[in-house]
Amino acid sequence: MTNKKTNNLNQTKKPSFVSPKPDIRKSPGSSLRLGEKTVRLLPYLYIIMFVALAVNYLILQNTDMLYMAQSHNLFQETPEYLHDCMKQPGGLLTWAGTYLTQYFYIPTVGAGMLIALWVLTFFVTIYAFRIKNAWSVLIVIPVISLLCSTIATGYWVYYMKCPGYWFAPSLGFLTAVLSVLLTRVMSEKVKLAWILVWSIAGYIMIGYFALMSVLYICLDYVINEKDKRMNAYVLPLTAVVISVITPLLCYRLYNNMRLEDAWLAAFPILSSGSDVSYMLEIPFAVTTVTPFLFVFFCDKAEKETEIKGKKFWLVALTTIAVISGSVYITDKVNFDDDNFHHELRMYRAVEDNEWNDVLQEMGEIKDDATRVMVLFKNIALLNTGHMGDRLFAYNNMGKMPYSFDSLKVHMVQTAASLIYYNHGKTNFAYRWAIENSVEFGYNIDNLKTLVRSSIVNEEWDAAKKYLSILKETKFHKEWAAKYDNLIKNPKTIGEYHEFDIVRELRNNMGSVLDGDNGMPEMYLLNYFSNTMNKDSKVLQELTLAYALIQKDIQLFWPRFFLYAQMHKGDAMPRHYQEAAYLYGKLEPFNVDISGMPFDKQNVIDRYNSFQDMSQQLLNEQRQRTGTIDSKKVGEAMKPLFGDTFYWFYFFCRDIKSN
Amino acid sequence: MTRHNIICAVATAFVMISCGQPSVPDSYSKKDAEPHIFPDYTNVTIPSNIAPVNFTVQEDASEAVARFTYPGGEKVYGEKNNIMIDEDEWKDILAAAKGKDIKVDVFTAKNGKWTSYKTFTISVAEEDIDPYVSYRLIQPSYVAYESLYIEQRNITNYENDDIYSNMLVQTEQDGQCINCHSYQNYKTDHMLFHMRQSYGGTMIVNGDKIEKVDLKTEETISAGVYPAWHPTLNIIAFSTNKTGQSFHTKDVAKIEVQDTESDLILYDVDKNEVSYIENAEDELEIFPTWSADGKTLYFCSANFHYYGTSSVSDTTNLDTVRVKKETEMIQRYKECKYDVYKKSFNPDTRTFGKRELVYSATQNDKSATLPRVSPDGRYIAFAEGNWGCFHIWHPEADIRIIDLKTGEMVDTKAMNSERAESYPVWSSNGRWLMCESRRDDGNYTRPYIAYFDKKGKVHKAFELPQKNPNFYTYQLRSFNRPEFMKEPVKVTPHEFASVAKTEAKKAIFKK
Repeated sequence: MTNKKTNNLNQTKKPSFVSPKPDIRKSPGSSLRLGEKTVRLLPYLYIIMFVALAVNYLILQNTDMLYMAQSHNLFQETPEYLHDCMKQPGGLLTWAGTYLTQYFYIPTVGAGMLIALWVLTFFVTIYAFRIKNAWSVLIVIPVISLLCSTIATGYWVYYMKCPGYWFAPSLGFLTAVLSVLLTRVMSEKVKLAWILVWSIAGYIMIGYFALMSVLYICLDYVINEKDKRMNAYVLPLTAVVISVITPLLCYRLYNNMRLEDAWLAAFPILSSGSDVSYMLEIPFAVTTVTPFLFVFFCDKAEKETEIKGKKFWLVALTTIAVISGSVYITDKVNFDDDNFHHELRMYRAVEDNEWNDVLQEMGEIKDDATRVMVLFKNIALLNTGHMGDRLFAYNNMGKMPYSFDSLKVHMVQTAASLIYYNHGKTNFAYRWAIENSVEFGYNIDNLKTLVRSSIVNEEWDAAKKYLSILKETKFHKEWAAKYDNLIKNPKTIGEYHEFDIVRELRNNMGSVLDGDNGMPEMYLLNYFSNTMNKDSKVLQELTLAYALIQKDIQLFWPRFFLYAQMHKGDAMPRHYQEAAYLYGKLEPFNVDISGMPFDKQNVIDRYNSFQDMSQQLLNEQRQRTGTIDSKKVGEAMKPLFGDTFYWFYFFCRDIKSN
Repeated sequence: MTRHNIICAVATAFVMISCGQPSVPDSYSKKDAEPHIFPDYTNVTIPSNIAPVNFTVQEDASEAVARFTYPGGEKVYGEKNNIMIDEDEWKDILAAAKGKDIKVDVFTAKNGKWTSYKTFTISVAEEDIDPYVSYRLIQPSYVAYESLYIEQRNITNYENDDIYSNMLVQTEQDGQCINCHSYQNYKTDHMLFHMRQSYGGTMIVNGDKIEKVDLKTEETISAGVYPAWHPTLNIIAFSTNKTGQSFHTKDVAKIEVQDTESDLILYDVDKNEVSYIENAEDELEIFPTWSADGKTLYFCSANFHYYGTSSVSDTTNLDTVRVKKETEMIQRYKECKYDVYKKSFNPDTRTFGKRELVYSATQNDKSATLPRVSPDGRYIAFAEGNWGCFHIWHPEADIRIIDLKTGEMVDTKAMNSERAESYPVWSSNGRWLMCESRRDDGNYTRPYIAYFDKKGKVHKAFELPQKNPNFYTYQLRSFNRPEFMKEPVKVTPHEFASVAKTEAKKAIFKK
């Protein structure tokens, strides 16, 4: 037995790139060759290139997305959480994946850990499949695929139903590859028993990846084990049969999985309602299928020397194809939609009450923003007291969030909770935080919304419950501790100024039965523009501002006069003057504005200039084409008048909310 | 003894000493108050076959121990702030204290200084409790649902299993909702639960037979909803309901669930026939429940006349009528109040008598729901709130009990709280009452059990014990419809799933 083991161990050759004694030989007859020393360095070269790529896409381009990933993650250090994870095959990956995802709180640290995991995977794969250094570029394929899977998600970050998505598949693949390595050092008889045990235990722990690992082991045995003591067909056949029947055997152990899904347990499938992102499944399929190619490029116990002649060309072309393909595909799949990243940064700034950052981010947007961003901007203006003079200083046109597949991005699943909360609609914030938690799992973000909403509602015990969970997290315990002090002494809520505006809005609202039909923006516009309030300046201003956005003259006037009454002695903000002046001109029979003290330069003169220019452009267009395209006129006037209510009233149209 | 054995013995002794039973401190200061513990087991009465009542001490301390003094002995437990009781020792403690009291002294330590608190008592009743409880685990969601479980818990220990999980058949596009598990006379060989949407139907276990039935007929307004299996016959009373919900903009109650229409039907399991029990105009009948002898059917009913629908010219357009009704119900939801009624039932002829008023909640401007009659037939428990039928969302809702012999209200303060209580159920021996309560945090429903002694006195309710005393803090699902069972469900979740995937048998309406 001992001898057998020794024999087997001797057969397990280390890849030559770590050989301490390089044997450099020259090939005088050929100018195109790679010497042994260079060949030994190839894996290091590839991994350096890969790391550079990963750092660029993860750390330089996607830190905002990584931060959101940890916000939409929850790891609980309780036995019950592990137990819950293990209710599905592959539950250990979920558990470990959610644990590691926490580190994206400091995106560089989390990204560093992920990259380190991939580097480890790269080298372990070379060892496990005994890939020749010349062909080590092939190992870039699975790790690049894993990188692509993390940077391609886009808005799916809100729709993840695979807890631990960011780390779990990488951990699963690494474990699968390690199992190949481990199997090789075993004796023939142990090997068979091990495969039987591993297929079941591995399936329970890492699901699909264990099944794949059994197939890798089988293929590795067929190709690489020259001195097979076991019947050549016994082990491979057993492995194939096991990987097919293990899910069937284990299916009865689980009460929350359909049989047809059993073979793909722990394989990340991104689906939401009728939307399934097959594109985001490709990287994982590529990662786990590529090892079947590796066996054809393995060491086979041959000594690897220099590369020359035909082989040189083959290696060179493969290397160029893999590297250029990797760079191209990575760049192609990276979800670099500007609005997505701006929206993520604005989301974080709203959460942190960094209102100037929200406005700065909005100011940087060149194209039309998403509706979520427009609402974030409104919230920031309300909090900075600039609703009346800067509401239209930003682009209020909105467009739908970009989606590379069939995913339909709805505000209720992305930012509705945060938007409702900041409008004082704490019950609706609470509702969507719960609804989304039911659908996609509880996460840090939703728990924080539940805490804030409960605090504003003065539901102290509910807030305490959610804080208890947050206190157990790695990076949000300080946030929780801050509010834990408030829970212990609710009377001190006045010292927590972040709640001031939300409390004022909420406490001055009426109490009715209502529903938003899944359309938060329409609901908020209707609700606030139809509300009147004499007790809260903040709420009253919101009702006036939203009446402006509704472009409803009848709603505007009573709110305008109430505003003037509540702000006696204050200067009337520019947009409210613009609206009053415009509506007075449009419907002079309604309200007489002749006695109102409008700002001559900024309101009256600009209105006149606006009218002159629009008339001029419309006439020119009519004469030139015989028709009127108001959209083109609006575009032409935007640089000069885009920051006015006049422009918003006439040209900001056809906005669709999501 | 070999050297190896000696080393092992020494090591074992060392481990035993260092990890041994905690002890009560020698010196401590006294605090004239009971300790804050969670769950609250202070001065409760428990059955002698319940799982250990582990708890956490919520005082400002780094360590806590509790001394349990019972007839013939004492034990001390403590792990940081948690009091974790050994299961085998607990059985001995309960056996010794049956019909008597356990005195509990809690000590806490902060910065090395110990404090003791006022002793509290845990009384152990003579009567046992049914060993199993089943419930649906569901997030307190509004519209969405994902994974749902109906679970059964052996409450004499901490074991729990799934009865059914919707994830066994659910797909992303076509989710399945499961609800309303119900048993015949606390036994599980005749039981049911509903499945909605994907693979919808009512799963009925009828002895050895498991069937999926579609109880919706042309004549009835919906499939069966709230069920009550007759204690001896193979018939089930159901309500049929058109249910909707809307959302409070500000009220912490958050949700209002209302029925715009409802009736009562009887389903004959063997004949697969549905017939009306009650479908009166302007009456919303709901929550049927049988007396233990099966000769009376209790239920709730609200008198509610829709004014708005009289303006609908085309009353054959049912959608228009329903929308009108829904709108009007949302506007007048506070006017919808339920009373408790009963109907006599002749098991031989299977005919019902006329409805009789049992309790008029509306007289007190209240609404009574979910009645349950005690096994001896003397008491009726129900949930009472200010309006409507869905009291778990109504913070003011409490459990009430009426002595049917005297007509007097029993004092139920001991089992109620300032937050919502609903869904009262009796144990099979009538000595234990279980209800859903949101007293922990206002949002998540938890099972609470109260002792109901022979004199008809309700004792302080206690939360169903869990191994981890912080379980309820971290548990983000509600315990819905807790029901007592004498035995576990023997059908496996996979067997249910196989039947769930088959076509539902259409019930026939019998006029």
